[in-house]
Amino acid sequence: MLFKQDLLWDIWASVFIIGQAFVYGALLGVGLGFAAGLSHRVELLFSGTINTIRHIPSVAWIPLVVVWLGLGAPAKIVVIAKSIFIPVFLNTLQAIRGVDHNFIELAQALKLSKRQLIRRVILPAILPVIMVTLRYSAGLAWALVVIAEGISGLEGMGFLIFRAQNLLMTDQLLVCMVLIGVIGYALDRLLYMAQRRLLRWQRGFGGSYA
Amino acid sequence: MLEVRGATRRFGNLVALQDATLSVDEGEFVTIVGASGCGKTTLLRLIAGLDQDYTGEITLRGQRIVGTSLERGIVFQEPRLLPWLTLWDNIAIALDNAPLSTAAKKDAITAQIALVGLTGFEKAYPAALSGGMAQRAAIARALVGHPSILLLDEPLGALDAITRMRLQEELLRIWRHERVSMILVTHDVEEAVFLSQKIVVMDSSPGHVTANIALDLPFPRDRSSAEFGAFKRQIFDALHDNAAVKPPEIEYLI
Ligand SMILES: Nc1ncnc2c1ncn2[C@@H]1O[C@H](COP(=O)(O)OP(=O)(O)OP(=O)(O)O)[C@@H](O)[C@H]1O
Ligand SMILES: [Mg+2]
Repeated sequence: MLFKQDLLWDIWASVFIIGQAFVYGALLGVGLGFAAGLSHRVELLFSGTINTIRHIPSVAWIPLVVVWLGLGAPAKIVVIAKSIFIPVFLNTLQAIRGVDHNFIELAQALKLSKRQLIRRVILPAILPVIMVTLRYSAGLAWALVVIAEGISGLEGMGFLIFRAQNLLMTDQLLVCMVLIGVIGYALDRLLYMAQRRLLRWQRGFGGSYA
Repeated sequence: MLEVRGATRRFGNLVALQDATLSVDEGEFVTIVGASGCGKTTLLRLIAGLDQDYTGEITLRGQRIVGTSLERGIVFQEPRLLPWLTLWDNIAIALDNAPLSTAAKKDAITAQIALVGLTGFEKAYPAALSGGMAQRAAIARALVGHPSILLLDEPLGALDAITRMRLQEELLRIWRHERVSMILVTHDVEEAVFLSQKIVVMDSSPGHVTANIALDLPFPRDRSSAEFGAFKRQIFDALHDNAAVKPPEIEYLI
């Protein structure tokens, strides 16, 4: 009975971290990506810093951030949010640079304001890229949650699975593996459903070709 | 109403348009014909205000053109509908900044969709429209804000002969209904003679205007009439005088 209580708590701890990190990382990535995409000056301001941070892998940030913020959730949220932020930022910026210039010209001809241009043209144009990036980075981030909890944590799925390894509790270890897989799958399905809904208008290559 | 005087546009060393001069009266239908690459799109972009890097003068009702304006509607060489918006929204976007009530906008859009014959397709996404339907949607988008002049860049160029003839009649109907001035760019001499009151002939390298031909035939025109044929002949001759469309030399191989 006690074990069951613990497990639910640990699942919650991990989901809490990925949920928060995902929201912060994604919002910041899209936000700054737009700011840089719409202004060369902002791009110059950020790109240097971000390129420096980028080349130190997230796992390598964990020890330092834990020293700053302790073993609890905040340190992990920061590191994982960063791991989501980087690809989302870079892809948002690149996708904005790749928006068909003809559509920008159309917006000029229709006298759209900058806000309308963003809402009606740029955002929908880059949404496919953003959605793919979100799904991809969510998968990486989930793996990172497990690692982060394993190397410095007192709760969560990662903590459980590494503890099970240390105590040679193979049964618990396998349960953890399956659960981690199921949660990762659920996370991806959730984003996939959102993507399907948001990109209803898209009619690309569906995959069948005969 | 619209005056283009000595408009010259260079891209580096290339003179895309040299000293182009033409005028369009209030409510007049003017067509520009000329070979590929003679600067037709370049000229239209100057008039639309999408390109301001030129010398010479372009004025609309005496005012020098600065930037784009809803006064000047434009239909691009391809429909350029936003794939993520429904047909309705693609047309509605042109009224985003119009000083109209929501109800008035709705009425205007409904009427415009009916005018181009797309009623019933309001909720369709562009991917589900045929080429001709997409082009009509683009025309509706350009017209819904009631511009005083409509610029059309080969809007029917990519369509089959039957659809093209139907849309030519539709263009004529729209023009008479809306009393809007039109500048239509086309490759098709018959289309030009069928639609316009004035034909501007252009030639390339460098792009320039070679002739201004007035057509005083009454509308609707009979494509098989003698006068129609005579005008076609005249335009062909004007084009043939241009080096770019010299008739092919006949070779005899025995
Ligand atoms: N942005 C640009 N940069 C450089 N050259 C350009 C540019 N736009 C047009 N040109 C050149 O200007 C010339 C005229 O081009 P334009 O698009 O006006 O031709 P067009 O008459 O519309 O031809 P078509 O009938 O094929 O559409 C061409 O030689 C083209 O290469
Ligand atoms: Mg052109």
